[in-house]
Parts: sequence; C-alpha cells; structure tokens
Amino acid sequence: MIRVAATIVFLIGFIASSRLIALGADSTELIYAKLAKLPADQRTKQLEEGARKEGSLNFVHTWRGKIARDHVNLFQKRYPFVKVEMGDIGSQDAAERFIAEETAGRHLTDILTLGVPDMAVILKQNLVASYPTPATKKILQQYQNFIEPQHRWTPWYWAEHGISYNTDLVKPDKAPKAWFDLCKPDFKGQVSFDPPETRFMAGLYVMMGEAKTKEWFKCMGQNQPIIQQGHTQRMELMLTGDHAVQGDNYFYTGVEAKKKDPKAPFAMVLTAPVLSFAGAMVINKNTQHPYASALFVDWTLGEDSQNLINSILRGPLTIKHPYLPENVKLVTYNLVGDDVTKRLHEAWNQSIGRMK
Amino acid sequence: MATGSLRWGMHSRSAPLNGGRIVVIALVAVLTYQVLVPLLLIVWTSLKTIRPGEPGFLELRFTLANYARAYGISEFWEASLNTLYFASLSTFCAFFAGTFLAWAVERTNTPLAKLIGLVTLGRIIIPGVIITISWILSASPSIGVLNYLINSLTGVPRLLNIYSFWGMVWVQSLELTPLAFLLMSAAMQSIDPRLEEASAIAGAGTWPTFRRVTLPLILPAAAAAALLIFIQTVESFEVPLLLGGRARTAVYTTQVYFNTSRMPTDWGLSSTYSMVLLFLSLGLLYVYFRLVRHGERYQTITGKDYRPRRIELGRWKYLTCAMSLMLVFFITGLPFLTMLYASLLPRFRPPTAEAFAAMSLLNYKTLLTEGGYALQPLWNSTVLGVSAATAVMLLVATISYFVHKTRLGGRKVLDFLAFTPIALPSVVLGSAFLWLYLLVPLPVIGTLSIIGLAYLTRYLPFGLRFVSASMVQIHHELEEAAAVAGGGWWKNFRYIYLPLLRPGLMAGWFWVMVHAYRELTISLMLARSSNRTASVIIYDLWTNGSFQQLSAFGVIMFSILIVLVAIAQKISARYGIQERV
Repeated sequence: MIRVAATIVFLIGFIASSRLIALGADSTELIYAKLAKLPADQRTKQLEEGARKEGSLNFVHTWRGKIARDHVNLFQKRYPFVKVEMGDIGSQDAAERFIAEETAGRHLTDILTLGVPDMAVILKQNLVASYPTPATKKILQQYQNFIEPQHRWTPWYWAEHGISYNTDLVKPDKAPKAWFDLCKPDFKGQVSFDPPETRFMAGLYVMMGEAKTKEWFKCMGQNQPIIQQGHTQRMELMLTGDHAVQGDNYFYTGVEAKKKDPKAPFAMVLTAPVLSFAGAMVINKNTQHPYASALFVDWTLGEDSQNLINSILRGPLTIKHPYLPENVKLVTYNLVGDDVTKRLHEAWNQSIGRMK
Repeated sequence: MATGSLRWGMHSRSAPLNGGRIVVIALVAVLTYQVLVPLLLIVWTSLKTIRPGEPGFLELRFTLANYARAYGISEFWEASLNTLYFASLSTFCAFFAGTFLAWAVERTNTPLAKLIGLVTLGRIIIPGVIITISWILSASPSIGVLNYLINSLTGVPRLLNIYSFWGMVWVQSLELTPLAFLLMSAAMQSIDPRLEEASAIAGAGTWPTFRRVTLPLILPAAAAAALLIFIQTVESFEVPLLLGGRARTAVYTTQVYFNTSRMPTDWGLSSTYSMVLLFLSLGLLYVYFRLVRHGERYQTITGKDYRPRRIELGRWKYLTCAMSLMLVFFITGLPFLTMLYASLLPRFRPPTAEAFAAMSLLNYKTLLTEGGYALQPLWNSTVLGVSAATAVMLLVATISYFVHKTRLGGRKVLDFLAFTPIALPSVVLGSAFLWLYLLVPLPVIGTLSIIGLAYLTRYLPFGLRFVSASMVQIHHELEEAAAVAGGGWWKNFRYIYLPLLRPGLMAGWFWVMVHAYRELTISLMLARSSNRTASVIIYDLWTNGSFQQLSAFGVIMFSILIVLVAIAQKISARYGIQERV
C-alpha cells in the first residue's frame, strides 16, 4: 500500500511540475530583444544596472577545477556586485541536469556552457533564450562559423581534436600526415582514442562525410586501436612512451608538458585538418537573472576572459591562438543531427569499439 | 517451553501491533522511499524510448524496444561471457587473498599482524583510478617500472603485460581483497576459539582445523564477501575502461559505456542494462540465502564467556608473515610506491638517474598553495562519510535484527529492499535522486543532505551484508535469557546485539565511511557550489591536472587514513574484547 501511494505521489508530482515549464520564458527574450535595439553605451548601462539589482547568478561551467574558478574570479573582479554561484561539471552532465531542472519546473541554472556538438538535446527541448549580442562582432574571421544565426548560443572559446605523437617513438618523417595514415601498419596497436565521443565523430563527419567516416572507422578498427578513457591521462601515457600516437586528443596537454619540460617528446600533426568546435554559453529561457546572465555572456568574449583562455592554452575567439599557426587547416563545426550521431555511434561500436 | 517460543518474533504473532511491528513498518517505509522510488524510475525508463521530461514519457504506453536493442546483439552476450570469467576469477582470487590475510591477522600469531592489517585497510582510501594507473606505470609492456627492472636484471624485455585479460583480473583482485579482508576479519574475530581448540585436541592440524572448523563457521561472511566482490567486479569501471579497452576485452561495463555514452544520454538503454544487474543481484542473493539458511549452524557467540585466542603457528608463522607481506606489497605497497615516485616527478618516466635527478616536491607545493579551495570539500566529505556510515550501519543493524532474529512476516522484504540498490549503478542512482528532489519540495538541493540520502541508499547493501554476517553468529540463547528476564526487543537489540555486533559494525562502518569519502559519480551528479566533496577534487585533478599531482593528493590522503586507522585500532583495542594470552 505504501509503495503504491509513494508511486502515485511521485508521478503526480512529476506531471504537475512538468507543466510549470516555460512560465516567464517570453519575458527573458523580450528583455534581450529590447536590449538589442539600444545604442551600445545605453545597452551596457542597462545591463549593468539590471545585473546590480539582481545581484547573483547561477552558472554551470564545463571547465573544471582551478581554471573554472580562475575564470569566474576574473568576472567577479570586474563585476563585484554580481555573486556567481558556480558548479563545474562536464558538458554532458551539465546538459542532463539542466533538462531535469527545467522539466521539473525548478529554474536553478541561469547560464551553462557546453561544447556546441553536445547541445542538441537542450535545443530540441527549446530551453534556451535567444540572445543577440554585439559581443560576437569581435570574433575573428576564421571562427565566424561558430556564430549561431538564431543567437541560441554564444561561442566564447574553441577546442580541437587532432593527431599528435611521441617523437621518441615516431620520427617526424615517419609521422602520420593525414587522418587515413593512422590506418597504416606502422601504427598498428599504437593509436589511442577515448571511448566514443559525439563531438569527435561530428567533426569527422563534417570533415569527410558519412561514407568516408565509416570507412575510416573500419580501417582504424582493423589497426587494433587503443581505447582508453581520459584525455589528459592518455596524453601523459603517450608522452611517457606507453604508445605512439593520439588519434583524437586535444593538443594543449602536450603543449603544456612541452612548456614545462622542453624535452617532452610531443609533436602535433598539422598537415592533417584539425577538427574544431566551439564552447558556447547558453542562457536559460527561464533565467531568474536575465541581466546578470547577459552581462556574463558578453564578458566571456571580452579581453580579460579571452586572455585567460589564451594563457591556459585553449582557443580564444577574438585574439590569436596561443600555439597553433595561422595557416593550420581548421574544420569548424557545430551541431550534427540526432540521426547522424546515432549512425556514427553504431558504426564506431561496430568497428573501432569492436572487441573480442 | 520450546526454545523458539521465547523469541520475540513469536510473541509478535499474537500481538500484531506492538513496538517491533511498528519499527518494521517504519523500516519498510524508509526503504520504499530510499530504494523503491529510484528503482521504479529505472524500470519505467527501461520500458520507454522517450527521454525523461519529453512529452509522452509519463504515458502508460510501454515498449520492449530497449530490451531488444540491449540484448539482441551478439556483442552483449560476448561481453557477458567475458564478464562472467572476469568476475569469477577476480572473486576467487580476492576472496582467497582476503581470507588468508584475515586468518593470518586475526587468528594466528603471525608477526607484524597489526601492521599487515593496517596497511591492507589503508589501501581502501586510494581511488581505484589511481591504483589502475599505478599498475599501468608498473607493468605496462612499454613503460612499466617492473618490466624495466626485470629487463635490467635478466635481459628479458616486456615480461609483464598489464593490458591483458589476466592483467585486468590481477588489478581487480587486488582492488577488492581489502573488502574480503574486512568482512572475513569481522567474522573471525567472533569465533569462539574453544571450537578450534577442540579440533586441535582431536588431533587435527592447523589446515584441517581451518578447513573443517573455521571456514564452515564463517560461511555467512564468506558468502557475503563472494557476493559483494562478484557484483562489485561486474559493475567495476576503472579496470575495464583503462585496461580492458587496451586489452580489447569487452566486459559488461565497457559494453554499457560504449552504447550509452553518446550525447544525449540514452537513459532507456542505460536503465535496461541496469536490469541485468538487478536480476543478477537478486539471483545471487537467493543463492546466499540458500547457503546460510541454517542460521543456527553459524552461531558461535553464545552465553558462555570466551576470549579470542590466536593459533600458535610455530616456525610456520614466518611463512605466513612472508606471504602476507608479499600480498600487502602488491595490494598497497607497489601502487603506493609508484604513486609516491610519480608524485615527485614533473613528468612520469622510468626510474633512471635522470628521473631521480628531476625529483622535487613541486607537485605537493602546487597542491598546498593552490589547494585552499579543497578544505571545504574535504570537510564536506568527512561530515558525509561519518554521518552516512553511522546512519547506514544503524539502519542495517536494525534491519538485520528483524530479518535474522525474528519471525515477523515480511521480514525478507526488508532484506530484499535493502539489498536492491546494489543493482543501481551510481550514475542512475544519482540521476534518480536529482529527479526526486527536483520534484519533492524539500530544501535539500545543493546541500550535503541530498548527497547523504543518496549515499544511504548506495551503501545499504554493503552495510547489510557486513552486519548480517555478524548477526547470524550470535546465538538465540542470549536473547532468550533476556526474554526470560522480561527484556523487550529494543533492550535486547541495544544491550545484547549492538555490543556483540561490534566487529561487523566497525568493519562495515569503516568500509562505508571510506567509500563515501571517495565516491565520485553521485557526488558529481548532485554537486553544486556549496556541497562539493573531496572526490570531486580528485576528479578535477584527474581531468585537468596531471597524474603526478593526483598522486601527490593520493599520498596525502593515504597518509591521513593510515593515521586515522591506527588511532581507531588503538581505541578499538582498548574497549573491545581482550585477547587471551
């Protein structure tokens, strides 16, 4: 009896609260639409005044630990009148939690930042506010593709997936030059990947199309790839000599190691295109702090935030990249469809993920 | 008067609404809330292809599509077979290593027994991910320190390969040996030595006595250890993903991870995979109950006075000491040394003169100078660990009492409900609690309470098996004597059972406390700015920092725990049952 009662209470609560979604959603977008019509100085003034009245902001960062704290501290230094409550969890967890909160009618998060390829599910549920901001005008030409025409997200940095290798184990003349080179027998059992990631597969898809991506998965699968979890740790293991090549990893860990110790045996493959996606801010349609949210989003494209991104070897959008040359071939991408993602994951599991 | 009729449970049948029955009803209510609600969410989601929160999710239309997807592919069954081998072998090895250590430490005069016990327990605090990485750095074919040393000494290159099925079994066995040690130690502390002495007088040697007297007496603890180790291995994450992927050996968790990790999370498929664990756990629980159904056979704590006494091994004590030290070296020593070595390096490399020259305390300095932010999470974890462990052990002690020492109807439901969470993966449990408290208007979001409540559910099955193993060792005659003297269930429970359950309670409390301290998945799901835990800091270091800094953090945590365990042992020795000299 008790079980039945608890179940009913749970389900009634669930249904009732689901219906609370979207109350006040229009007002946020209305505020942003009005702000967009103002001259720059008035807009800034209104934003700051509004944020000061609101006084706080709930922000979910997908960067973790020290770099996330440093980032938010910089904002607090510039705008001490806005108290930022920050949670730092990964992109996927951030999206899932945001959906849960909004579905339950609890508007606990004002802004969150996500890798754009991870954003499909919250966009599909129509949970984010359209926020047109002049801040995106500062974004450099080569990153303009990251800008979303409907203003549902605001890009503020970018990250990469690329090929890198251990120079003690692979001499530069024998290093892979292109993505399909990773299928060569020289690299059998030597190329490491994380378990399947949507953002990496989306980049491959944009770079070479579905058929070629699946072909690449197949030939990689036959070359006994190493599947191990953890980008940072895989890079460290490669630098230690555990294996020779990273097939999908971010470069910054290797560049950082090289900065600390110039003898670190790390090199990037820049002859092959580098897959690049943006990290973007989204504002909750039901934000309780619309002005503070907008102020924060604009700030992320400002000088302080972009310089910090540069200093921690991530990809800023308004200034030069800290270590990648300007002539590097970037494949920039945003979202790919749900159906494509599903097919790519299945193909990955059938070839690269296929084990004994 | 028949013996059984004096037992409290018999009285309860004639008096349907007494204090005990109310407690049982209250326990069922607590467990329903803590366990059944997340379980219902999982079963419901497994029957839906629509995500939670999307229109139609709550409609009473169900599908088996997720089951067809999950179980309709050959890879799942191949992975299941691998899992069976992996879990069986790991359980076998961990169980025997843990039992041997418990016997040597608790029942014999093996030299350095206290140190061996201390270091084995201290190992539990080191997160599994550090242990696995330590073994990669020790026994990877390319960079393993052990391979380097073996090659230097014998000229044989790449002798060890941790990236293999047997490497997985090795690391997993060592990871879970302390659990077997804890469970078996608690049971062995409660054996009346006169039974073993009688065997010795009858002419049986040490081994026949252990096999024919000691082992059968501790069958409930042994069954509980095997049960928990097996299930823990099936749902283990670090070893399959760090070693299994490289060994190209897919197991259950790899299969689940590969198939559900895409964005957005496929909750339907995740929940469907959880059902396997649920049925497996219930099946194993049934086997466990069959094994220990003759509870009276294991009752070694009676009304007669006894003091634990150690078996004199003579010269053999040096052999047991050497074997124990060797095991402890592999369980704790080698990973700790690797961790210590890594923590002193700017970048990991084999132990050459160049590497030793590059050593410094920089990683510790960085942690300490930048680690002020870690103080609050460390405090949060301490509060959570202590309170969750205390709440869990009190709850399971009460549950275990009603299950094993009364004949109230529905008591088995208590055991079932309290054990069920073992089948709920942390990520699913964390998500269920998040949903629950987004919907239930209690102000717990962003507080330690929500994490504590989730921990309570998570660790119930473990605490229950620790206490149940001790509970069945207590003879009914003690309670019968109390009943004659007019004691009710609460007095019996408070003054007879709780003191006698001390070994199981202490072991379970320690295990829950440490695991609550290092638990990550639930903490991450429920963490906000003010309720972050120590494990979240570890995760920060894991994802953002370096293995070297993570190792430094591990060394500090290990050192703190060793001191705490040593203090706890001193206190326990002062107030516990005194050994006979």
